[in-house]
Amino acid sequence: MNPFALAILLISMFIGTMVTLTSSHWLLAWLGLEISTLAIIPLMITDHHPRATEATTKYFLTQATAATLILFSALINAWNTGMWELKELSPLSSNMLSLALMMKMGLAPLHFWLPEVLQGLSLTTGLILSTWQKIAPIALMYMIFSSLNIQVLMIMGLLSIIVGGWIGLNQVHLRKVIAASSIAHLGWMMIILPFSPHIMMLTFLIYILMTTAMFLSFKIFNATQIKMLTIAWTKMPVLVALMMFILLSLGGLPPTTGFLPKWFILQELTLQHIPSIATVMAISSLLSLFFYLRLTYALTLTYSPNTVNSTIMWRFKFNNMFYLPLMVVMVLATFLLPLTPSLISF
Amino acid sequence: MLKILFPSIMLIPVTWFSPNKWLWTLLTMYSLMISFWSLMWFFSPLNNPMFINKYLYTDQLSTPLLILTCWLTPLMIIASQNHMINMPINQQRLYILTFIMLQLSLILAFSAMELTLFYIMFESTLIPTLIIITRWGNQTERLNAGIYFLFYTLMGSLPLLIALLTLQAESGSLMMTSMPFMTQIYPTQTNQIWWVACFIAFLVKLPLYGFHLWLPKAHVEAPVAGSMILAAILLKLGGYGIMRISIMMTPFTKDLVFPFLVISLWGIIMTSSICLRQADLKSLIAYSSVSHMALVIAAIIIQTPWGFTGATILMIAHGLSSSMLFCLANTNYERTHSRTMLLARGMQTILPLMATWWLLANLMNMALPPSPNLMGELTIITTLFNWSNITIILTGLGVIITALYSLYIFLTTQQGKMPEHLTAIYPTFTREHLLMNLHIIPMCLLICKPSLIWGMFT
Repeated sequence: MNPFALAILLISMFIGTMVTLTSSHWLLAWLGLEISTLAIIPLMITDHHPRATEATTKYFLTQATAATLILFSALINAWNTGMWELKELSPLSSNMLSLALMMKMGLAPLHFWLPEVLQGLSLTTGLILSTWQKIAPIALMYMIFSSLNIQVLMIMGLLSIIVGGWIGLNQVHLRKVIAASSIAHLGWMMIILPFSPHIMMLTFLIYILMTTAMFLSFKIFNATQIKMLTIAWTKMPVLVALMMFILLSLGGLPPTTGFLPKWFILQELTLQHIPSIATVMAISSLLSLFFYLRLTYALTLTYSPNTVNSTIMWRFKFNNMFYLPLMVVMVLATFLLPLTPSLISF
Repeated sequence: MLKILFPSIMLIPVTWFSPNKWLWTLLTMYSLMISFWSLMWFFSPLNNPMFINKYLYTDQLSTPLLILTCWLTPLMIIASQNHMINMPINQQRLYILTFIMLQLSLILAFSAMELTLFYIMFESTLIPTLIIITRWGNQTERLNAGIYFLFYTLMGSLPLLIALLTLQAESGSLMMTSMPFMTQIYPTQTNQIWWVACFIAFLVKLPLYGFHLWLPKAHVEAPVAGSMILAAILLKLGGYGIMRISIMMTPFTKDLVFPFLVISLWGIIMTSSICLRQADLKSLIAYSSVSHMALVIAAIIIQTPWGFTGATILMIAHGLSSSMLFCLANTNYERTHSRTMLLARGMQTILPLMATWWLLANLMNMALPPSPNLMGELTIITTLFNWSNITIILTGLGVIITALYSLYIFLTTQQGKMPEHLTAIYPTFTREHLLMNLHIIPMCLLICKPSLIWGMFT
């Protein structure tokens, strides 16, 4: 792609999210969402592959539907209350709005577009789609959390955790697995949102860290299927060993970072006297853990027979651009748990 | 506490930077020094919790388990030298690194002051163990064994996390030292689920008969070091956890405890009968662990001082004897490359000194008099008899079957005619004899002063 066009697209993606983050007016918030959606669409279709076209079309249609719903609910709200402020929402428009935002992020049962879309993208665009593009909707949810309907959030969240775990079970494509993991993590965030939005934000940040680490490592291995992971150890043995911890961190096993948000969320839920839902959530997260474990099996814990007679691939070139961010993100995504006390205090 | 923790952490750089030639020797020496230094924990003249700081402490119950943890690390390193000899040197280093991680998390688990820290460390032991089993096991079935291991344990322990968080929300603290002074939680209708949630994690870990299917798989597929640490210490995490948490849960009620008690007593008979018809040596030893742990469960659940004492003694004694049996099974496995007992008979004729160790280990396992196993089993059987006279039928039958299968192991592997294909095996190493001695000597010393492992009620 032309570097100028790329720069414009990336900048408008950034600006779109920033407009949403700084707005207090529904029209501006909607505008920001639209700008960032429209900015990523040319990025998605950079390589003219039928799958990319399909993914872009699906993405555009769902995002447009969701954006229309957002605008519609904001209008209804303005009609009812006479205000365009972000804070105040009538029950009808808050329900409609939360459904629209969930559709934008891909929560179950509005998640069907997400695996298909992610499957059609390159790993870099996929990374942007599953991290940066979620910031604006999450921030909107955060800003209007007090007027959201708890039942809707609970049902959608719980459903997402279960469905996310379920659809990841029989995937061999890594990007679909990542989509499933994203759905499940968003489910955790939605459940905790009405009780403690700060914990939701923390969960989201840690989700971004872990997903970025995973995407960047897959990018280095250039792997899009599980079977491509099995020969990853010939390329970079150290990263393969560390990837196991990132995957288990995504699964939420202590003592990795991924346990931290789960711990806080479960604690908050028990403080709110709903330990039954907390138990269901914890147990359903084992579904997700299963497919992460399967990835670690393919990646780290078995050595597949290699046709090349050498152990390290000869003249394997890495993209050096990824090293530093990968290192930082990897450390944060795996070994943050001992810092929990300082995270609580601020 | 830090005098052990910091040297244990420093094992990591030693693993990475020691010269290739001295790797195993240096690490064995170093970890052995740590374990000797850890004997200092036995010194507690007042029978009070010792070495207290804000996060960690030791007391009479955790001390023997902590020292066993430190003791097992050098033994694991000694035992797996031959297993790793053909691997690249970096993989050998990584392998030892997992032991060190395991030792660190086990020390933190046993000495944790807070139940939350205990839980986190209890779970942290899963990852190194998973790596040992599924990365360095031998057969393809190890992947299945890893899944069983991880998911059985997590399925049990996630409700425990919720239960602990609930307890913290209600009482405000999870400090172990203040738990005896908390208001005891009586089993009302709503609390019953909470009770079961507290128990089930540890019962799966121990394992209780019925939740035990992961254990034989894990043992069979794990390399020798994995089997050793699993049988010696990881199972004991469960017993330790129940003893700690049941302080709050006195008194137990019938409808909560009887099912578990019945299953565990029944499990003694069932699992030892399974041992009688096993063809796989490692699986047999694994099932024998399940049957011994069933005694421990029964003793702890009854909640008498004698029961706790017996359970602690049996946990330590079984830790050493089962670990030794796994080492012995591994010496056979390294020579015959098979776990099937029928393929390795009559070993006495070619490895006579090893036969002595087999005999001693089996006698320990069946709890013959000068062994701490006997002391533990006697105390437990007395406790159970005192609680209900009928249990003597089950426990007595269990003891008989234990003796039967211990003899069965010994007779099958050591006695009889040696098959033709075994004549070309290589002789025993001094390393292996040293390994067996390092298991036997602590047993002999412990029976000279058993009050060290009597647990909370000395």
